[in-house]
Amino acid sequence: MNLRVETRNPRENLAVIALGGEVDVYTSPRVKQEIVNLLNAGTTKLVVDLTGVEYLDSTGLGVLIGALKRARERDGDLKLVCDNLRILRIFEITGLTKIFDIYRNESEAVEKL
Amino acid sequence: MEQSAVANSKALAEVELIIPSRPEYVGVARLAILGVASRMRFSYDEVEDIRLAVGEACTRAIERLNGSPSEGEPIRLRCLIDTNRLTIEVRNPLLEAPSAKPTPESEDLGEVTDLSGVLIRILMDEVDTEELPAENTHLVRMVKFAAR
Repeated sequence: MNLRVETRNPRENLAVIALGGEVDVYTSPRVKQEIVNLLNAGTTKLVVDLTGVEYLDSTGLGVLIGALKRARERDGDLKLVCDNLRILRIFEITGLTKIFDIYRNESEAVEKL
Repeated sequence: MEQSAVANSKALAEVELIIPSRPEYVGVARLAILGVASRMRFSYDEVEDIRLAVGEACTRAIERLNGSPSEGEPIRLRCLIDTNRLTIEVRNPLLEAPSAKPTPESEDLGEVTDLSGVLIRILMDEVDTEELPAENTHLVRMVKFAAR
């Protein structure tokens, strides 16, 4: 499976999930499970770092949308980190830049939560 | 009809690939189309667009068949290579009855959305779908034009 998932907790109730590789129909269930586990454990502030992602498809977008919705239902939030123009373009052409806050680096995203 | 003309016209070359309709094989289709598109006069961004569109079309095929009697039936990709355009056909079996099951995306969103359909339509220059009952085939045909 060409997907890397690394989760850190820089402070209480906040998790940074750094993804790498390909997030597609095969790998996105693993990303979803990681996020569901964090939310179920009480973490409501999430940063998903897409810096290492080389490929993202609609199933990956669906997981991120679901995660954003669930985090906000719990009075939390989700911020994205992405500096890859190809990946950013996918958010732009699907209109998702309107619902996601996307930052160039992790520290900026963490600061906003 | 233009669709039939595209389908029946003689391409300079053809590449066909048959993959199992399982998520782990979508990456194989993406790799194959990357190889095909890279040999044509497409920019890097255009090749990436084609790769994503093909991945989305295969994902849709898998999700469409998921839970149906045709689940596991192969997905057939056919690439028709011309000087200035690449036509990609993605074929899989027809469903006997439309599935009422929501897709994972719609479950996540709580409403019906079609991100993969939006992506395919934006990334490719022409897209059409056809049902061919005589061949028991659901066909998605996508075209990308290369610079002359």
